Amino acid sequence: MGFELGGYAGTLLRVDLTKGKVEKVPLSKELCALYIGGRGRDAKILFDELPPETDPLSPDNILCISTGPITGLLGPTTGRVNVASKSPLTDIYGNSNAGTHWGPELKYAGYDGIIIKGKAVKPVYIYIEDDLVEIRDAGHLWGKGVFETTSILQRDHNGYDTKVAAVGPAAENGVLYGSIIFDYWDAAGRTGMGTVMASKNLKAIAVTGTGELKVANPQRYAELAKECWQAVLEDPGFKTQEHAALGTLVVMGLGNAQGWLPTRNFRESVFELADKVSGEEFRDRFSTKQAPIPAGRACMSCPNRCKRFGRIESGKYAGTKGNIEFEGAAAFGPKCGVGDLEAVFHAYMLSNDYGMDCITCGNTIALLMELHEEGILSHEELEGLDLHFGNAEAMIEMVHKIGRRKGKLGELAGLGEAKAAQAIGRGAENYITTIKGLGTIGTDPRVATGFGFGFAVASRGSDHLRAHPVFEMIKYPEAVAEEVFGSKEAGRLRGFEGKVRLVAWHENMAAVTDSMGTCRFMHASFYAEYPFPEVLSKLLKRDKPPPSIKYHEWLSAATGLNFTFEDLFRAGERIITLERALNVRFGVRRKDDTLPRRFLTQPLPSGPFKGVVFPEDKLKAMVDEYYDLRGWEKETGLPFKERLLELGMEDVALDLERRGLVALKLKKEDVQLKTG
Amino acid sequence: MKKLLFDPEKCTGCRACELACSFFTEGVFAPVKSRIRVVRIDEEGIDVPVGCTQCDKPVCMMVCPSPRAMYRDKDTDAVIINVDACIGCRLCLLSCPFGAIAYDPERRICYKCDLCRGDPECVKWCFTGAIKYVEVEDFRREKRSQKAVEVATMLTEARKLAKAGKG
Repeated sequence: MGFELGGYAGTLLRVDLTKGKVEKVPLSKELCALYIGGRGRDAKILFDELPPETDPLSPDNILCISTGPITGLLGPTTGRVNVASKSPLTDIYGNSNAGTHWGPELKYAGYDGIIIKGKAVKPVYIYIEDDLVEIRDAGHLWGKGVFETTSILQRDHNGYDTKVAAVGPAAENGVLYGSIIFDYWDAAGRTGMGTVMASKNLKAIAVTGTGELKVANPQRYAELAKECWQAVLEDPGFKTQEHAALGTLVVMGLGNAQGWLPTRNFRESVFELADKVSGEEFRDRFSTKQAPIPAGRACMSCPNRCKRFGRIESGKYAGTKGNIEFEGAAAFGPKCGVGDLEAVFHAYMLSNDYGMDCITCGNTIALLMELHEEGILSHEELEGLDLHFGNAEAMIEMVHKIGRRKGKLGELAGLGEAKAAQAIGRGAENYITTIKGLGTIGTDPRVATGFGFGFAVASRGSDHLRAHPVFEMIKYPEAVAEEVFGSKEAGRLRGFEGKVRLVAWHENMAAVTDSMGTCRFMHASFYAEYPFPEVLSKLLKRDKPPPSIKYHEWLSAATGLNFTFEDLFRAGERIITLERALNVRFGVRRKDDTLPRRFLTQPLPSGPFKGVVFPEDKLKAMVDEYYDLRGWEKETGLPFKERLLELGMEDVALDLERRGLVALKLKKEDVQLKTG
Repeated sequence: MKKLLFDPEKCTGCRACELACSFFTEGVFAPVKSRIRVVRIDEEGIDVPVGCTQCDKPVCMMVCPSPRAMYRDKDTDAVIINVDACIGCRLCLLSCPFGAIAYDPERRICYKCDLCRGDPECVKWCFTGAIKYVEVEDFRREKRSQKAVEVATMLTEARKLAKAGKG
């Protein structure tokens, strides 16, 4: 281990598939201090090396697959891996993240990340076994599903010790929302990262690592790992064991009860058949692990074990198996109006095997269903498929059509909601729920206003995982919201005050943990991290300080860099701002930070929040407030040069200035007036 | 005497045990150096912890050709490899029915679980109870009770159904 910072493996792999060359380059210490790793480092690599006008599916596009300094170490949730590129679905910054054992394995092999450029002349896969890194023929794998590909690569190499990242036929066939699937079930699904990988003729990356990772301060690290772990075990949310018992599918019941479960392509937010596709239903009918203490499956070093594995033993869909998550189930379930869990589970696993983002896939089918019901798409255009809400068989047939890109309909649906609606025309655009080209996840922004505002400003489009402000959905003392986010309303559904701070806070922390290589659930689902346990403890007048996840101390002990909480929070801001800089180069401006018309104008027809919309004036005021907080110009959405310099991003400021893409707080004439 | 017991039913495959083991024995995070391993069979969603059970008739110890290289610890009952006497022949590794003995190519010796001298680190991180360090009879008692509760629940349900005239 030559690298001076702990936690990191110290080396990046640079693969040029056109030349068939692999290069091992040392990490830059400066980059680690500024952008940490994972999501932050990947965004910086794209900023430095990717010309903004690059066609996402050309050999010139760059695909980064990266880990963070904490990935593969001991502590709560160290299994995350980050993927970034220019997205073929949205044509802006593309980014997705998965929880795995693949990321840690890459680090044990000696690499923090892989940066892939070019395009192989024929299908290949990358094989990594410690020092050995080879580009190998994948002729025998091309066209095969993700599950079979993974299974063959494990069989041909080191069995269960081989961890595999693979793309499926959907990505190969040019479906714009192809995913990269890690270890069979864990998807980096959003924004079409798998499609980029397949466009490079790269089918898979198989890794085995037998090396070791060191930390800068082992003694302190051991103490912190224990404290962080304990903080999770003592968190009130964790103690309910809901994730362990039901997986993320627990959200189905919660969302329906709270009235924000998107139903029939977001027409409604309450689904009358929600209990038929719930976590309880899955546990009772298909779950394969039924230990007395609920034992879901876990990513690397994770106490939460949110992955529920199940199998359908009999009937039409016998043999269907895999991990079920809320988002996929919500997309094929309520969004398509389907209340048959077997069909939902089957469609979901098919979508995984084809290697497609389950959210965009389900959303697109739901859109087609609505367009059919609204009379915009004719029976002929649907190629005889009876696509109405609730028709499970038609939905499954549609998944096949998309995965194989069969016929005109398959081609069309493979474009995703926004581009398909554009191709259809005839007012189809009024029914989509995309922001910046990415479709909305399984939470209705009209009710969950924090989530909703987060969708509007998220760097990758309408997605929850940029912020994930679950705080507004859980029972947490409102005084905590007041203390941390400045308003009690921040902790309430349908609240507006304090939500901007709530979202910005979550965004910063999410950027940090995505860059460290840890999971969103520890700090934005449970609130086990500093300062929440401390604030709660103060409110409850306990004298002993509770255990808490102090990410700044954790990262410092691992790397040897010295982060205070403020430093780390600032690093989060820096990463968010860098992503903004990337996006403004791709053409994103203020007009793009908005919500789909449906959420602004169509009142919810039923449920506990019947009649509400996300008021447009509120949204406008919130974006203003958010830009102020971020240091971005209100009129344009461009970052202020002063802000970039304050965050230590001179190179980014210079680049944007050269392109005329920075805002200036002091206009030139003001400066002249002052000095002259 | 306490024994280390592994229960795949309760294992989540998080591998915190591997990381804890390698860190507290070798000072690094390296699953390959861990005395306990978890085999993740992702395809079937099954996770199996595999480690040394400190057999009562340890084949490894029987086949070890080097005098004093292996012995049983009086206090913990663990089968121990004495690194100073190990000749690195790997016969123990070959004979272990579980693949629980490892070889260190740098130090040229074999190594295995020594129960952390009676306080196994892996157990401290395994809160689902997939790895337990307990008296065997305590384990049996708990398992027996659990099964009994399951059976009782089934019987109660069956009676209810019968009473409702559906049985």
